[in-house]
Amino acid sequence: MFDYAAIQQAIIEGDDEKTVKLVQDALKHEVSPADIVTYALQAGMATVGRKFSEGEFFIPEMLFAARSVTRAMDALRPRLGKAEKLTLGRVAIGTVAGDIHDIGKNLVGMFLEGAGFEIIDLGTDVHAEQFVEAVIKYKPNILGLSALLTTTMPAISATIAALEAAELRNKVKVIIGGAPVNQRFADMVKADGYGHDGGASIALCRKLVGK
Amino acid sequence: MTVSHRERIVAAGRKQKTDKLPFGARIDVWYNYHAGHGTLPEKYKDKNIVEICRDQGAGSQLRLYSTWKVWYTNLEVKVTENPPRKTTEWRTPLGNVSMTTIFTPQEGPWIAYELDHPFKKREDYPVIEYILQNTRLTPDYTEYNRLEKIAGNDGIVMTGMASYSPMQQIMRYWIGFERFFYELHDNKAQVERLFELEKELAKQKVEILSKLPLEMIGVCSNWSDEFHTPIFMKYFVPWLKETSDYFHSIGKLTHVHADGEMKRLIPYFTETHVDIAEAWSPVPMTSVTTVELRKAWGDKVTIWGGIPATLFGPQYSDDEFDAYVKNMFKEIVPGYNFIVGMGDNLPFDGKIERVGRVAELIDKYGKLR
Repeated sequence: MFDYAAIQQAIIEGDDEKTVKLVQDALKHEVSPADIVTYALQAGMATVGRKFSEGEFFIPEMLFAARSVTRAMDALRPRLGKAEKLTLGRVAIGTVAGDIHDIGKNLVGMFLEGAGFEIIDLGTDVHAEQFVEAVIKYKPNILGLSALLTTTMPAISATIAALEAAELRNKVKVIIGGAPVNQRFADMVKADGYGHDGGASIALCRKLVGK
Repeated sequence: MTVSHRERIVAAGRKQKTDKLPFGARIDVWYNYHAGHGTLPEKYKDKNIVEICRDQGAGSQLRLYSTWKVWYTNLEVKVTENPPRKTTEWRTPLGNVSMTTIFTPQEGPWIAYELDHPFKKREDYPVIEYILQNTRLTPDYTEYNRLEKIAGNDGIVMTGMASYSPMQQIMRYWIGFERFFYELHDNKAQVERLFELEKELAKQKVEILSKLPLEMIGVCSNWSDEFHTPIFMKYFVPWLKETSDYFHSIGKLTHVHADGEMKRLIPYFTETHVDIAEAWSPVPMTSVTTVELRKAWGDKVTIWGGIPATLFGPQYSDDEFDAYVKNMFKEIVPGYNFIVGMGDNLPFDGKIERVGRVAELIDKYGKLR
């Protein structure tokens, strides 16, 4: 079995050049591209996410790791078969109605993409009915709702209510995040998960898709 | 002898003892929203922030972005406003850059957020350098003087470096957090050149601020440990320390708007020589408790805040609010070097009566020996 540890370590170190070189070396040794994605890239990013949640890593480490994975995927893409399902799942993410903050959403999207999820970015100021339309259109495994103001938190519960009214609530897992949001609020609105930070979102989303 | 709200706030900042806990409330988000929508309580319809806080028994903060006018030479600035969006374009001989901001209906145009940043590609570095080299500031104390008259003994005008220290200005304003770390890694020399130019511009700001009679000057805002810790000692501490020491030498205090996650920044804060951490937002809005902060900083830093903004909102009952505030008083015993306040504002759906309730609880439980 190929030793993926070196690629994982390059990702953890945020060395995108080394990551790409090691991936290319692996391909030369006829390692399956799909296995590289699963056992090297996604595994490496999962470690980075864990270190971030545990307080060892900061945003820069997450960003460089995500960039390493993105560049590695660029190198792998020509070799990936069309039929290969490499994503861990599809996550649609947006900032709720009345809220125009996007940095948290953008960072979580980057980290989840680096970790192997397909991201549908719905943007900011997304109204409940737009989230419902997105669930119908994209059929995501997970819907991520971000709110950075206490005053826009009610839009999270409004969105969940809209999903229930459209009989879609049991078709998608809902996770929430943002500075004023906490587990208490998540329990109150019956979200499936609350992500305190970008690193936690990786572990949370993997758990929700059963991986 | 009657002690005013302002005197208590300044005394706490100076680490001096006073008769009871100072209370410096920030209610501008609530006030601007309701004043703009015509939904201020009837009795407050003709009142300003200071008058409302005074009626509630609290001291107040009056926010002022800057005390200068900005002049550009050899370049053109075009501002296009399409509320809630505003786009600023700098047109220089070396090229153009632009930035669009937006505000929410809840917070109004006084608190706008960046939709993008002037820096978008490597070729923008010389353009931004040119802008910084061709920026001049001249004092404009008109608005400060107006607010100072309103503040009187019950309020403090909160102003300073137009929010940011030099490196924070680059991170937040010019480049943006998402791109900044890639640029610091990939184009370090260019980022550090911008840093040097921002420090030069900061000298003009410090000179203008030094002439104010104001007791305390804001030197930075909006830290979050996940972003700032890796670069704090190198790019934040030296400038903050030098600037704080300068303002101390002329009898002034310094404060930072410490409304973000501070956990991993706590050990470094005292290196900055900043006197006051304002807008302190504890659990549940961040992961740090007031007890942890007091233990870490001791008598070196005055904490201003302590009551999370969310607590003023409808999701918490009056009993939960009271319990939180009373517990906070116990946590900060003996109560010195602490200014009660919001982390960081009264939200638009917050209950103004809870401001008064804090004042009542201070009178009952917040007397200092």
